[in-house]
Amino acid sequence: MSSKLQEVVSKQQKQANPTENEEHKILQLVGFVVGEEEFAIPILTIQEIIKPIEYTRVPRTPSHVLGVFNLRGSVIPLIDLRMKFGVQATKTDDMRYIVLKDGDETAGFVIDRLNQAIRINKDKIDPAPEATTQEKSLIEGVGKQDDKIITILRVSKLLERDF
Amino acid sequence: MDEFQEILQDFLVEAFELIEQLDQDLVELENNPDDLELLNRIFRVAHTIKGSSSFLNFDILTELTHHMEDVLNKARKEELKVTPEVMDVVLPSIDMMKALLQLIRDTGTDKGDIDIVQVVKDLDVISKGDASLPEPSKKAKAPAPASSGPAKTDSNEEKTGDYKDPLADEPELDYASMTDDEVEAEINRLINKKQDVIKQKKTAKTSEAEKTPAETPAPVKAPVPVEKKAAAPAPKKTTNPPPVEQTIRVDVKRLDHLMNLIGELVLGKNRLMKINDDVEERYEGEEFLEELNQVVAMVSLVTTDLQIAVMKTRMLPIGKVFQKFPRMIRDLTRELSKKIDLKIEGEETELDKSIVEVIGDPLVHIIRNSCDHGIEIPADRVAKGKPETGTVDLKAYNEGNHIVVQITDDGKGLDPEGLKNHSIKKGILTQTEANNMSDKEAYALIFKPGFSTAAQVTNVSGRGVGMDVVKTNLEKLNGIIDIESEIGQYTTIKLKIPLTLAIIQALLIGVQEEYYAIPLASVLETVRITPDEIYTVENRQVLRLRDEVLSLVHIADIFDVERVFENHDHTYVVVLGLAEAKIGVIVDSLVGQEEIVIKNLGEYLKGMEGIAGATIRGDGGVTLIVDVAAIMHMAKEITSQAVTTESATAKPKNGPEDYTIMVVDDSKTDRKIMKSALKPLGVNIVEASDGVDALTKLKSGEYDIDGMMVDIEMPRMDGYQLASEIRKYNKYKDLPLMAVTSRNSKSDRMRGVEAGMSEYITKPYSADYIANVVKRNLGLE
Repeated sequence: MSSKLQEVVSKQQKQANPTENEEHKILQLVGFVVGEEEFAIPILTIQEIIKPIEYTRVPRTPSHVLGVFNLRGSVIPLIDLRMKFGVQATKTDDMRYIVLKDGDETAGFVIDRLNQAIRINKDKIDPAPEATTQEKSLIEGVGKQDDKIITILRVSKLLERDF
Repeated sequence: MDEFQEILQDFLVEAFELIEQLDQDLVELENNPDDLELLNRIFRVAHTIKGSSSFLNFDILTELTHHMEDVLNKARKEELKVTPEVMDVVLPSIDMMKALLQLIRDTGTDKGDIDIVQVVKDLDVISKGDASLPEPSKKAKAPAPASSGPAKTDSNEEKTGDYKDPLADEPELDYASMTDDEVEAEINRLINKKQDVIKQKKTAKTSEAEKTPAETPAPVKAPVPVEKKAAAPAPKKTTNPPPVEQTIRVDVKRLDHLMNLIGELVLGKNRLMKINDDVEERYEGEEFLEELNQVVAMVSLVTTDLQIAVMKTRMLPIGKVFQKFPRMIRDLTRELSKKIDLKIEGEETELDKSIVEVIGDPLVHIIRNSCDHGIEIPADRVAKGKPETGTVDLKAYNEGNHIVVQITDDGKGLDPEGLKNHSIKKGILTQTEANNMSDKEAYALIFKPGFSTAAQVTNVSGRGVGMDVVKTNLEKLNGIIDIESEIGQYTTIKLKIPLTLAIIQALLIGVQEEYYAIPLASVLETVRITPDEIYTVENRQVLRLRDEVLSLVHIADIFDVERVFENHDHTYVVVLGLAEAKIGVIVDSLVGQEEIVIKNLGEYLKGMEGIAGATIRGDGGVTLIVDVAAIMHMAKEITSQAVTTESATAKPKNGPEDYTIMVVDDSKTDRKIMKSALKPLGVNIVEASDGVDALTKLKSGEYDIDGMMVDIEMPRMDGYQLASEIRKYNKYKDLPLMAVTSRNSKSDRMRGVEAGMSEYITKPYSADYIANVVKRNLGLE
């Protein structure tokens, strides 16, 4: 009996250890759609995802800066990713605000719809393809999954003032 | 090491506090050299700092304070008369002490490049030299050998850490010649002295450095009565132990945090009140409403009280700022060879800590200015029949939600004409501007950067930056500056500052669908006007308000608000005042007054021009707070849309080539026909393919349209609709709109008139006919 128990324990350990190692290599992302394209951001940078609420326009800002909204007592800027990426902005029921946080900076981003949570092996993420546009630094990497390619965005760059 | 750091911190805090008081006391001393109480106080400060610094091994500081103490001790015992000459040495030594303390604060040591040798020498000259000078009147009371003894020993005790018998150095006194009472007093004194020394040792061991000085004054003072025999009763007051202080030190960060929490609470309260109103409306007459009302009222009351209470904990008396001025005036009078008295009133008036920190600099500049430019030299004053000594009056008092700091000098006053001429010479003012200027506006010129009326730059002022600092700092505080003056009589500068910065009263205004909050501290008044009260002067909209001409700006122009609908009957003007400037802001509606909590917009939107922050309203929405200082600057660059067209039409139109006609028709052929019909007239032609296109082109302001030929049947927006849209705009009220259509029934014509068409031309038309109609409408005939 005890040998059997021993066996089970060692088996469990074997199982536990590799997954632990695996955990380090896995990056958890949240995928979403802007326009036609699919993007993803690391799940740990997301503070929360909310349904669209009213916002207040801030004058003298570029068109992709929609304004500010009230998130439980904090005043947070709202940026329309569709306008930032030059995609037609339409109002849909699936529209969401993703609130991202990097250090002390927080901002909400408007997206067309949420897709899914993605677990991806870090090996499968390639650096951003060489591009000459300023978008270069906005892309942290490109993840390959099955038959799809997912663009992973750099949160610190998203939260940087761009005007 | 940590413990040492803690002691050091306490020492520094205490030392800086003591020094602030010291400056004032010293200047007072110069006027009342015989005030023993005052002298004792000053002596105690030097002594306290010396004691603590020797304990903390700051040798240089100890050395300096030791010599200061010598001089002060002599003065205290009336061996030395406090003359301005003596003060000229003592004051710099205090400055040096400050510098050393600052050095310690910044670097943790007093070994820097501050050289005390010269000052120490000067101090020695006074303490030694003057002591040997015979002072007949005092000598009888205070025999030199007897009194100089204790002074030195006192200091030695402190310095060496009291290892020897504290009584060993007592001078031999003739006990036999004393009365019983005196002997008893002397015995008591010696006992006290010994006890205190023991106590001192104890406290030093327990590392309570700051307590030592608090207790030492007693023995230090004690010798005085004995030596001076006659004056025995007086010092008794000072030997009383100071009452236990009913205060605790609190880290400012904690207070800030508390203030933030209160801010949240105020928001919650606003929200609750809004909900209460809604509920009241919906369930009118129900019983539970009564109860709810009571609770809401109670919460609101307590929140307000709590807010006031927390605000009060952050308050400091403005006296903290005023303290440095007697010394400053004293230095200035000597430097400028003038005679000036400083009168201070209302030092106990309290202000938020953050404001106290910012208000100091502006006051320094204003007072310097008053002394340098305001007060005349004594000879001039006498010639003018004024008292030889000028007066600078510094006064603080509360006025509603504001505190007012008022600086008055009885000097030569401000001369508005002189100020204008000077500004014109310096190129910061044009002749026309000068002519339209009221006296008050002319006084405000002194705040322009680069303005200085002083004939020459002196050490004190004349660089033309000081008053600019005043203005900038006051703007930061949302304060208001008001100047009054009469030539040859006086100048009064009034600074009006809001009591606190974090939670403010605001006026909520509406423009189209948007709301903005304006800090009430900057709102002087609101007026309701009709549009025809607005005049245009040199491309600016202005309003005549009583005896003043106020320049206007529409808030929609500042914040790029699209003007969808316009109110014809009346409009509101919010008169804003900041520092010395005034402006009228046109708004669509006044919503009301509300208590708001200022929140910042975060890094991403930081420093947006015209926006000071945001607040959360009772309904949970965000309302932006107007940065009054910024919009005043912005207003200068903005010429309102309405103004642009008005100024454009104001351009001289000499011939047909200066006129522009817009042809609105969806058919290209029709447009072509129209163009060829208008060609002989020589006017410019702009084309639009439908109503929407026409409206956009008109509103863009790209073209200066003088008339429109409008087709009726068009896609997207037809001619009638276009006409009524155009007529919604005040500035297009009189724009000639000529309908050109094949619809010629009476009802069609009626509709045209209703929509605001000025002419109705039926197709087909002859070129001559069209040309004539257009000529008539443009006034080209």
